[in-house]
Amino acid sequence: MQGTLASVLTVARWEVKRSFTTLGRNVLPLSVVLFVLLLLVTGYTAQSGMHLQDGIYSVGIDDPALAVILGGDTRFRVYTADSSTLEDNRGSYDLVIVEGRVLRPLTERGRAAAKSLERDYDQYVASVYTRADDLFAAYPLWIELEPVKSELSFDATQSGQYLSVWQRSGEPPVPEGPVEAVAPPAPDLPVAEEVLREGLERDAGTPDQIARYTSLLSDEPEYSTFRTPSQLSPPLPFDSIIFVFAFIFPLYFTSQFFMMSVMQERIERKGEILLSTPVAPSVIILGKMLPYLLGMLAVSTAVILAAGAPLSVLLPLLPVILFFLAFALLIGMVSRSFKELSFISIFFSTVATTYLFFPSIFAQVHVISLISPLTLIVLQLQGETITAGQYLYSTALFYLTSAVLFLVGAVNFNAERLFNELDFFPRVREFIAASLSRDHPYRSLVLLNILLIPFIFMAQMMALVLFFNLPMPWSLLLLIGTAAFIEEFAKSIGIYTLFFEGDARPGWKTLVLASAATGIGFLLGEKLFLLVMLTQVTESVFGSILFLQQGILLLWMPLLLHTACVFVTGLVLRTGGKRWYLTGLLAATVVHSLYNLYFILGWMR
Amino acid sequence: MNARHIGIIAKKEFLGLNHEKTILLAILLQLFVAMFSSFLMVGLTSMYDPSSLSTSTQVRYGIAIDGANTTLDGLLAERPDFTVYRMDLSTGLAALKERKLAAVIYVPPTAADAENPVQVTLYTLQNDIQTAVVQVKLKEVLLEYEEQLREVRSPRLSATPREVQFPIPQRSEGFYEFVYGLLVPLLVFMPAIIAASLIIDLITEEYQHNTLETLVATPISFPDVVWGKVLACELLVPIQAGVWLLLLAVNGIRVQNLFPILILVSIASFILILLAALTALHYRERTAAQFIFSTALVIVILFVVAVPGNPLNVIVRAATGAPGMALPETLAVLGVAAMVLGYVTHRYAGRIGRLAQLGG
Repeated sequence: MQGTLASVLTVARWEVKRSFTTLGRNVLPLSVVLFVLLLLVTGYTAQSGMHLQDGIYSVGIDDPALAVILGGDTRFRVYTADSSTLEDNRGSYDLVIVEGRVLRPLTERGRAAAKSLERDYDQYVASVYTRADDLFAAYPLWIELEPVKSELSFDATQSGQYLSVWQRSGEPPVPEGPVEAVAPPAPDLPVAEEVLREGLERDAGTPDQIARYTSLLSDEPEYSTFRTPSQLSPPLPFDSIIFVFAFIFPLYFTSQFFMMSVMQERIERKGEILLSTPVAPSVIILGKMLPYLLGMLAVSTAVILAAGAPLSVLLPLLPVILFFLAFALLIGMVSRSFKELSFISIFFSTVATTYLFFPSIFAQVHVISLISPLTLIVLQLQGETITAGQYLYSTALFYLTSAVLFLVGAVNFNAERLFNELDFFPRVREFIAASLSRDHPYRSLVLLNILLIPFIFMAQMMALVLFFNLPMPWSLLLLIGTAAFIEEFAKSIGIYTLFFEGDARPGWKTLVLASAATGIGFLLGEKLFLLVMLTQVTESVFGSILFLQQGILLLWMPLLLHTACVFVTGLVLRTGGKRWYLTGLLAATVVHSLYNLYFILGWMR
Repeated sequence: MNARHIGIIAKKEFLGLNHEKTILLAILLQLFVAMFSSFLMVGLTSMYDPSSLSTSTQVRYGIAIDGANTTLDGLLAERPDFTVYRMDLSTGLAALKERKLAAVIYVPPTAADAENPVQVTLYTLQNDIQTAVVQVKLKEVLLEYEEQLREVRSPRLSATPREVQFPIPQRSEGFYEFVYGLLVPLLVFMPAIIAASLIIDLITEEYQHNTLETLVATPISFPDVVWGKVLACELLVPIQAGVWLLLLAVNGIRVQNLFPILILVSIASFILILLAALTALHYRERTAAQFIFSTALVIVILFVVAVPGNPLNVIVRAATGAPGMALPETLAVLGVAAMVLGYVTHRYAGRIGRLAQLGG
């Protein structure tokens, strides 16, 4: 044990030394210069503002003094003319303000311009009122927001139904449960007028989204639960994009270095020296990875400290870091050339960023958003505490998939795999094949399908998040189809790699046995996984499509389904050959979807 | 420069890309992002304006109100999307917890013209997508109520803002600015960035696989090799950007001035590719070159965006069809920059080629 640790550290030291020599003396000084430049430019950009949308609207006004309502918004180009000229040339402006009335054409752009102008106007009005001597004359209405925890589970709205919509009759709803006596809130604001004014001024002074975002990081003032009606907005979705860049971007960068380091070992068989040392491949991988892991943790800590966030943010970041490193390892091992490395890593990072970022948009709105660890970070920054259950729910998939990927990497980290010149897909196939045992094909099929489960869930989660936004019947149908396709594809991987190599075709008996092994492995994995976690999602209608809970059904039904569907794929492959692979998959998907539709629609009736 | 030689090298790189089928990944990526952004928009639209999706059912949210009788009652009742009940606060909250109501409002007995503000308490469900929607709808009503109260207290106001009347907002304002002001420039410039990082790969590969000597030994000169690679990367840009714009059109987003935009992106990407090529020629090693180039790229983009009238802004204006986009001027400036950089690259590559021949 101690020996292993020592070798890991030795490899890690080599790695640090190697990367410093390749990066060389002429990179470091320049990167310092670049860093200073970055700070300067960031400062400049913050001051000058973003000039991306400058001048996209034109507005004609009859009174130059009215320009004040725009508050210097660069999106508008302002033209002054007398009212009759403006009236006559309305077509040449996006907006016209004549005698205090805003006129707009009924185009998409006109509507957008009017909306932006209205926001500017609100801002202007707020700036006037905030300066009022009698604050409570300018802002006579304050709203205190009281969030109420529902005793019913959240799946009601999660399933896409409007459950809080009550009956059409005039009768007020009658609660079924006991009624707790609630004292009416006190009529007086418990916050000093000056505190409220400060809050208003800050809101008025920081109109853009980035600035609004930074106020989220600073300590929330006392008045935060008291708002004027105009402050009563739902959570702003675009804010979380900043998180992605602040936390994920450095991780993506560092993982690039690791990816490249793995790739370097393969160029001109440089890694042979490393492989010839008497240490296990897993030790080499761990050793090579360690500096990058520490580096990523250090960078994340720096970002956290700079943002003034709690250090516990590292907890949800850790699985993300491992996930990035695991993928970097495999991408570095699989790519044949630099350009392939670039393309695959860009592809991977886009998909991963989507998975991480998309759900976190809805952080304050919806529980589904918890499938991304970023949501945990958003919540933590807002001062909410994260329960162990939530943590497990949103990070388990990341931990599991990283572990599986590292396993595959370790099994394949040898000269034969690293230095061959096969094409991409055969290579990937080889990687999987190496992880399977040809002597015990059925046993490995069971195991492979168990290990594939976290990936399947991840892909299905992504589909869930994507389709969740569509109106109800479509989201359900699309989800059923996609979920089935993902499962069928995953199940076919093992059989395809083991029995359809080259022109080989399995016998009937082999195919049946292999299908059964796949079915068993799949079901085992699914059930194991569900047992460990995921009670939250599985209770909703969406969850039941993904992980169809057969509490009432016997286990042989899903087993038969999984076996039969993968058999369909195998059958088509066997008769038609490899070119029919997609057809086979689609056929299996149809069977699978019909089964799911039958049970889910049966339930919903 | 020898056009035939450049063509040979460009063809070789294209064949390499084609052979690796990595270009498929790039196309897949485009589809993915296009799908993703359209889903994002559908999602956001439905979140802020659920009625934009369901045309048939008029959703009515149950609201309970307790406390003082004010004009707020009437304002709420006027709205077609609320059903208002006068209910005891405790009962209302219990019903809210059972999701039989969307919100409960408590109004204190503060007089409209009192010294103190009217402090209304709004109870909504935590962690619920419906709450966001209800809150948006309630906000409109509360704004009206605020206006009424303000009217009552107006003698106490020292200054009043200028009044401007806006047309009644129409259903589904859309995401015009998000699409044209952010998505379009982002998508159009992404191929340029991909192409720039591609040229680094292509050049450093020759160094790291020690194939440079072989290349220099052929009649093709080293600058021609570099130009061939630049050409291969450059050709990819308008194709990819064009596909993007086509995908956007399929998604129902029409972009104006297609050809000027493609020309602008091509020239801008030519500059980026040359900068990347210079970085790669200097460092000869992928990790260092990519690192330096992408960091520098972030700085350049941040800087460019902060400058008024920058090329990205020109693209936005061109895409929306806004007049006065200063396209010719921008093209001229970028063109001059590209020519200067092209000359520098040519000279630098020539020097490296001579050194390699001497050294080899």
